[in-house]
Amino acid sequence: MQPAAAPVNAVELNHLSKSFRVRRARSEGVAARARDLFRPRTETVLAVDRLSFSIAPGERVAFIGPNGAGKSTTLKILAGILQPDAGEVRVFGLVPSRQRRQLAFQIGTVFGQRSQLWYQLPPRDTFELLGRVYEIDARAHRRRMGALASVFELGTLIDTPVRHLSLGERMRCEIVASLLHSPRMLFLDEPTIGLDVSAKAVIRELLWTESERAGVTLLLTSHDTGDMERVCTRVIVIHGGRLLWDGAIPALRRSYLKAKRVTLWSETEHLELTLPGVRVLSSSSYRTELEIALEITPLGQVVDAALRQAAIRDMAIEDAPLDDVIRALYADADRRSEMS
Amino acid sequence: MIRRSNNLAFARALVATNLKATLALRGAFVMGVVFMALNNLTFFIFWWALMRHVTTLRGWHLGDIQVLFGVVAAAFGLTVTVAGGVRHLGRFIDEGHLDTLLTQPKSVLVHALGLRSQPSGFGDLISGVIFIAWSGQVSWHMLPFVVAAIVASALVFVACGIVFFSLAFWLGKVETFALQLWDLLITFSLYPEPLFGGMLRLALFTVLPAGFVGYLPARVVHAPSVSNVALLTIGAGAYLTFAVLVFDRGLRRYASGSRFSTFG
Amino acid sequence: MTATRIAKYTAFSRIAVAHARRERGELYGRVAFFAVILGVFSSLWRAVAEAGMPVAADPKALVWYLAATEWILLSAPPIHIEIQEAIRRGDVVYRLGRPVSYVIAEFAAGLGLLAVRAPLLGLTAFLCAFAFTGWTPPLGALVIVVPFGLVAAALMTGLYLWIGLLAFWLQDVAPVFWVWQKLMFVLGGLMLPLELYPRFIQRVATFTPFPVLLAGPASFVLPNGIVTPGVLARNLVIWCFVTTFAVCWIFRRATSALTINGG
Repeated sequence: MQPAAAPVNAVELNHLSKSFRVRRARSEGVAARARDLFRPRTETVLAVDRLSFSIAPGERVAFIGPNGAGKSTTLKILAGILQPDAGEVRVFGLVPSRQRRQLAFQIGTVFGQRSQLWYQLPPRDTFELLGRVYEIDARAHRRRMGALASVFELGTLIDTPVRHLSLGERMRCEIVASLLHSPRMLFLDEPTIGLDVSAKAVIRELLWTESERAGVTLLLTSHDTGDMERVCTRVIVIHGGRLLWDGAIPALRRSYLKAKRVTLWSETEHLELTLPGVRVLSSSSYRTELEIALEITPLGQVVDAALRQAAIRDMAIEDAPLDDVIRALYADADRRSEMS
Repeated sequence: MIRRSNNLAFARALVATNLKATLALRGAFVMGVVFMALNNLTFFIFWWALMRHVTTLRGWHLGDIQVLFGVVAAAFGLTVTVAGGVRHLGRFIDEGHLDTLLTQPKSVLVHALGLRSQPSGFGDLISGVIFIAWSGQVSWHMLPFVVAAIVASALVFVACGIVFFSLAFWLGKVETFALQLWDLLITFSLYPEPLFGGMLRLALFTVLPAGFVGYLPARVVHAPSVSNVALLTIGAGAYLTFAVLVFDRGLRRYASGSRFSTFG
Repeated sequence: MTATRIAKYTAFSRIAVAHARRERGELYGRVAFFAVILGVFSSLWRAVAEAGMPVAADPKALVWYLAATEWILLSAPPIHIEIQEAIRRGDVVYRLGRPVSYVIAEFAAGLGLLAVRAPLLGLTAFLCAFAFTGWTPPLGALVIVVPFGLVAAALMTGLYLWIGLLAFWLQDVAPVFWVWQKLMFVLGGLMLPLELYPRFIQRVATFTPFPVLLAGPASFVLPNGIVTPGVLARNLVIWCFVTTFAVCWIFRRATSALTINGG
């Protein structure tokens, strides 16, 4: 039991480390394979390297990194599926590997590529079973089911066998399933994978709303920056098992890539803009797309140069897409690790 | 929310959901039942044809063989309908299906066992009961012994399945091998124990407990006594305890992440 | 150009052989099962002998009988599964466009698999039967069993092909295969020579290919077998013709249905 005075962080990670022994197959050939069988060649792969961060209750955090960066491993450790090798892990003050059962009542999980809904049955049957899993009083459970079903607009879906649902509909039901026991924290692993644009938008909106309303802490891994931007306020970037960046999303954009994307629609067919720090991304009839490094050339200078050539009919100014920012981050990290 | 700590309620709900899922595909269900019943019948025709010429086989009559067969079939049917997940345990472990179960506050083993059900098991259960009833060796007041024998036999089946398929925690892809062991257990259970001598008989009461799956339960149905009922209960309990221990060790290994993966 | 045609089909066989080599796990499982079942039955027949043999045969000979029937049964590759999958996926439609007869190609592939399984399982049969009985049937008998057994296994493969082709009309051929298999166990005298079954079962069996597949070839290891080589050869030929006709007919019906419905 935590003393009432100190507010508990949702997640508290201190120098978390985890490594795996991986069997690496020798080259082809019968002799090599035989040796593999009796004396396998193993390597130790450091999946998570002294990772530290904390998440306050109610925060919505995106947890991103390239494949093999250690995201899934970290998530599994937080959820109590894997045991850490070293370091301190606490979720709502509980140690996942030691207090797994207690923690289970506080957390919910959504794995995008794995379903917890029974395939042949309507979601309602899975929801009812989950009521037993989480030992929820029957009447309270029914109320909760009804409330979530209306928030997530399940309608008749709740009584349609899962095998007849589309991926988007299924994901909505998965999220409802994970929220039935009113967890304080939700772990989502690629929740929008494989969904079309409108389905993604729906899921993102619902996650955001539910988190706002009920104060559910979200930790979301995704390769889709749209998930990050629409749902989360903070991003933690992990690479090679190490923390690369931890902060608010606008700050990430601003500090990492001080660039703007400018699209100009002009009265002449082509614009000639050869200024330092200005990269022409595309140039078609009457339309030019530029990327401007603001620390080299201020925006006003570029616009002036354009106006000197022709009148500008329209202009659009955007921040560099988050994908570029993140890619730049990874590239930088790769370069640094190559050099060391 | 009021919490009622009720593991039994969970197990009951799990079995109910599992059976509901099996019945959801009506066609496949009926076919599974019918064909398994037919399957058992054709196997039994062999015994019937043989015993027409040979009335006793080392003291066993056709009725005795019927009871043996019925008990094993019913126990197997009970196993794969109620705890059908046991056959898929290796795949669950290998493909990471245990992850979701680990994030929930209930026994991973019980949950995993209750995730699947084989419709053909009902065919086994029904045909098994019919064989016992039709053997002419069992009367109505023996019913509690029959039920006890079938349940005990099923528990040993489940225990063995847990042990065989839990090898996946240590050896990776053991599906085929574990299935061979599983089939071996069934095969040996179906033949009268007096056929086997010495070393093999010892093995059939220890490492491959066909004796606890077939022979001993059949004896309890046939000629119940304090000693054989006690032996069966203790045996079933022992195997189940061992199986749970094996699975727990395996699960700890799984959580430490030291299951090998092979890269190319 | 028959040489090139044959070469085309043998190519399928060779691929199947390579494929079979990879499915070793399943094959080793069969070997283990084989050993166990022969062990169990050698005990069984010894126990029966104590009570009095129902047939004028040595219990040891009956173990060899089972070894032979199981050898034939286990050698024949269950190609109906693959064929059903191919039909379900729609692969068959692509194959129809190529200048290779689909059924002959599949049969050739099946023979390729058979060529891998039969020797291994045959060796297992021989060694296990010898180990459990300490006896071998007269060499002449063994020499006859092998070619007849191989032809029977090939015929069985053809019948599995026919079952697989039913997937053009049935959602799932597994039930058909099951019933087929069970009938084969009984009417083909898998574990018991046919003469031990009641008269009416024996009579029904004569209208089916099952006795020719299992009981016939295996009976040569018994002292007074039910058939002579000549009669068995004739029956095998008849059933080969029937099977070939059935396979071609069903395939033609299937493909014409496809072309009418546009695939």
